[in-house]
This record gives sequence, C-alpha cells and structure tokens, in this order.
Amino acid sequence: MSIAQVVLAAKPPLVIARHRHLKWKALDPLEHVLMVLCGVSIAGFTFSVFVDVVTRELGIAVLWLQLVTTGFFAWGVFIGMATATRRLDHLNLVEITKLMRGPQRTFFEVFNRIVVLVVALCMFIFGIQNVFNDMGSFRAPSLIPLALYTASVPVSGVLIVLFVVEQLVNGWRNGFEGPEDSENLVEIVK
Amino acid sequence: MSHGTILLMMTALFLVFGYMGVPVAFALMAGVLAACMATPISIQSMIGQMFHGIDTEILLAVPFFLLVGELMTSANVTNRMIRLAQAMVGHMRGGLAQVVTLFSMFFAGVSGSSTADVAVLSRTVAPEMTKEGYDRAFTAALIACASTMANLIPPSIMAVVYGATGNVSIGGLFLAGFVPGVLIGIGLMIYSHFFGPIGFRKPRASLCELYLAAKGSVLPLMIPLIIMGGILTGWFTPTEAGMIASVYILVVLVPLLAPKHIRDLPRDFVYTGLLYAIPLALVAAASAFGWMLAYLRGPDIISGWIELYAGTDGRIIMLLLVLVFIVIGDFMDAVPAIIIFMPIVIKLNELGAIKPLHMGVVLITTLVFGLITPPYGLSLLVASKFVGVPFSRAMFASLPIYAVFFLVIGFTVLFPDIVLYLPKLLLPESVGCFKGPAGNYICPP
Repeated sequence: MSIAQVVLAAKPPLVIARHRHLKWKALDPLEHVLMVLCGVSIAGFTFSVFVDVVTRELGIAVLWLQLVTTGFFAWGVFIGMATATRRLDHLNLVEITKLMRGPQRTFFEVFNRIVVLVVALCMFIFGIQNVFNDMGSFRAPSLIPLALYTASVPVSGVLIVLFVVEQLVNGWRNGFEGPEDSENLVEIVK
Repeated sequence: MSHGTILLMMTALFLVFGYMGVPVAFALMAGVLAACMATPISIQSMIGQMFHGIDTEILLAVPFFLLVGELMTSANVTNRMIRLAQAMVGHMRGGLAQVVTLFSMFFAGVSGSSTADVAVLSRTVAPEMTKEGYDRAFTAALIACASTMANLIPPSIMAVVYGATGNVSIGGLFLAGFVPGVLIGIGLMIYSHFFGPIGFRKPRASLCELYLAAKGSVLPLMIPLIIMGGILTGWFTPTEAGMIASVYILVVLVPLLAPKHIRDLPRDFVYTGLLYAIPLALVAAASAFGWMLAYLRGPDIISGWIELYAGTDGRIIMLLLVLVFIVIGDFMDAVPAIIIFMPIVIKLNELGAIKPLHMGVVLITTLVFGLITPPYGLSLLVASKFVGVPFSRAMFASLPIYAVFFLVIGFTVLFPDIVLYLPKLLLPESVGCFKGPAGNYICPP
C-alpha cells in the first residue's frame, strides 16, 4: 500500500507546500487543524486500546473503552479522507492527467473533480439522513448514540465538497498544471 | 436492466473513472451510486455501508502496524537491523543485494507495509549500491521485489484486511504467510547470487562484529516476538499486538536508542493518522462496492464462469483465481481488490471445498506480485522514484525476478500441507481443526 513516501527524512510542516496554485491560503489553518485531528485520532485510540488491555489484565475491564476506540478510529478515517482530498494524497490508479496540457487537461481535471464532488455531496446529504435515523440507536453497553459515530461521514462529505470547490475555482483561474507534474509518483504526504 | 448489465455498468464506470484519474475511493463510490439508480437499493444505505465497512475492531490493526513502521523508520532504529544484515551476508557475492533481501525479511517482521520498506532501503542501502557500481535499475527492482515480503511475513496489513473481510483467522494467515515470504527471500538471494552484479567483495564479519551487530538489533527484533508471541499465546488480538508493539517502541526503543527523536513523536502520530486514513477510505468505498456486487449476484455469475472451466476441482479453481488476481493486481490496489472480490472467493471456496486459509495465503501471495508489475506496481514505482531511475528501466530489470514469484505462487498452490504446516502446528483451529473428546485435535483432510 502506498504508504510510505511518508518516511522521507525531514518531515515538512503540517500544511503541504505542493499544488499551491490550486489552494486558498485561507483554508491552510483548516488543513493544519485536520492534520492535528488525524494525529489525535490515532493517539486517542492507541491510548484507549492500551487502557483497555491493561484494565482487562487487571480484572477490571472497562467495556465502554472499545466504543471510544472505534469512535476515534471512524472519525480518524473520515477526517483523514477529507484531509487527503485537499492534499491530493488519495490513491489513483493512474495519474493520466499529468501527461496532458491545455484544454484537454482542464476538461479531465474538472470532470474528475465533479465525480468527486457528486460522491462527496451524497456523503453529506445522505450521511445527514443516516445521522437523523441513528439518533434513536445506541451502542451497548454505554448507550453512546450511534449518530455520534455516523456523523463522521457527512462531516467528511462537506469538507471534501469545500476542498474540491477550492481546487475547481483555483484550477479554473490559474490552470491545473503545476511543477509537480514532472514527478511520476503518487503524491502522498510530502 | 438485468443484474448482469448493472454489474457491468458499475464495474465499467469504476474502471473508466479510475483510469481517467478519479481517486480510487471516489471512483468505486461513483460506480456504486450509479448502480443504486438502477436498483431498488437506496443511496442512503450505500453511504451507510461506507461507515459500516470500517466499523470493525479488527481493522484497527492496520494503523497500528503502520505506526510501528513509521516510528521505526522515523527514529532511524532500522539502521541497526541493516548493520546486522550486513554482518551476516555482506561478505557474499553481491553482498549489498543480499543485505537488501535479508533486511527486508527482518523489516517484514516489524512492519506490514511494503512501501515503508522501500523508503528505508532506498534511503540507506541504495546509495551504497550505486557507489559499488550496481545498476540503479537492478537496485530499484530488487528493493521493490524484496519489499513485497512485508505483506507476507507477519504482521501483514493484507492479511488483516483479508481476515477481517473473509472471516479467516488472522493469526493463521500470519503464520501461513511465513513460507511464501521466506521462499521469496531465498529466491531473491539465489537470484542475486547467480544473476545479480558482483559488487565489492568484503571480508566476512568476525564473530565479534556479528555479536555486536546482533546485540544492537536485539531490541528492535523483539517486535516480531511481541506481535506473534502475543497472538499465539492468546494474550492479544492482532489489533492489541500492534498496539503493544507501538507502545514498546514509544516506551523502550525510542528513549533507549533514539532519545533525540522524542520531540518528533507528535509529528509521527499526525502523519500516521493521515496515512492510515488513505487505505481505510478505500476499504470504506470498497465495502460498499462489494456489498452491491454481492446484491447483484456477481459472485454467482463469476463463479459460474469459473465452474464452466474448472468444474469443482479445487486446485484448478485456485489456479484460475490466481490468473484472475494477477491481472487484478496489475490494475488495482490489493486492499480494495480483497474486499471487492471476497464474496466471489468465498463462493469458490465452497464450490471447490478449498480451505479458506489456504486460499487466503495463495491470493495474498498473488496480490503482492501486483506490487511490482505495471501499470500499478506501487512498490516498483516508489523504488524507481527514490533510487532515481525511470520506471520502465526498473520494470525491465525486474522481469527476470518475476520467475521467483511465479515459482513461489505455484508452490503455495500445489503444496498446501507445507504452507499450512505452521498454522496447523501452532493455531490448529485456524485450519478447521477442533478438539476431540480426548483433548487432541481432529483435523479435516
């Protein structure tokens, strides 16, 4: 899995410096906050699984810890999904658009983002409907409302919509081509 | 529209969007949403399925194994394992090539991520190989091929995903992955010895040097023991074993071996937080895709085709599936492939009376091959980028090494008794054995 580009020696600032021409500076603090939340989520469920194991071994198992763990995990996945959209870190089968220039490039870039936009809108609209449906469902044993978990989907959807609109507007104004086009690697996390 | 037509449309949309450059997770969901329009299934339920696809405790193992790899590489603890590999095999013909393979076997026991392995080797051993006159294309190809072991030798992220979606023992998959993983390692070492560049011949490390290198690696090499020991003794689930390994690195390894790295730990968590979200977003989308595929009776249709050629012969079914998965692995990532095609695999297991664990290890071995084949050979892409050689050259250099993978896949299919020896010995339940009245295990043939 694509995971490691990642491990380059010096870690850069949390807000990615690439694809600047597709981004508004105003949304940089949001990306920063989302990155921190990604870290909080993994730190959170590492801690909760740890406490879960320790309390179980001590014979004083705390059952609701597992619900905390899955909450951190689910929110982390969907927040990370939105963050990866702004950073253009998602996995692609091919990056065929990088080979294109001019109107052809604009067409494909816009088309691809419209597909993402439609999916994200569905995540937002139908995700909210799911949240309302889940208001009456609770997870045993601590009776945490299921909606608290499923709310991660529409929140992710609305963030993705925001980031895709940002890329569409800036791409339309500044063009989609950028210095990153010369790189033949799926761009992750640098 | 018939179910078959909708199935074709959904798959075609996914592939067309995917190859136009739409990120895989969104291309999968776009196909699913289009299928919703043509069926009574509501979009709302499919969006809900995205959440339910990742709402399982066992998938928590994925971020933990990524965190282990990230912490180890970020804190530079892996250098100690490289030194040990150099002391053990650095004197052989093509010494550094042997080091690459041996280190990958060590690293595979620590991390479940192939690309993390590629990143470490490309940064540390690859520059040395260039200095010694190794062809860069060979270096990139070897690093990429060796990195595939990370998904076979436990812990393996692919095994976690396969076990979670296919209801197969993850501990059993971990153990069964040993044989093909080690066979690939041995195959690569033999290939490097006979067909690789010679490199500089170095004197054999003295016993004292070997002892010092081994001593320096003791703490990092405890991680595989913690993970597998915890799982096999029944103390931990795979998820908890991953967490314990992460805590071990945080509490023991980093303070003792890389104390200066402590201040960078928050950043490691932030990046791993993003890293685990990327494959798991794929899992979320792929589970919705897999659900729709099952609803449209995709498994029945495809297993019907395979039954036409293979009948109910388990071995031929498995070989046909291997061919299918070699093609699939060329074009898409292993994680969504496992989830999407799991209903079909389960159906074919029943048809050919194949042990799910055997099928699992065969398919994982096949899918890791996809990491080094074009156009979606991610390990090869990353390795060629880091080593600084065009992808096409790295691909040509890796072509002869494909033979190693074909032999290992064939071995895994044809010799289930050897491949499943460890699971049968250490986790008999994972291969369908059960305790008899006398307390001994009774196993199916």
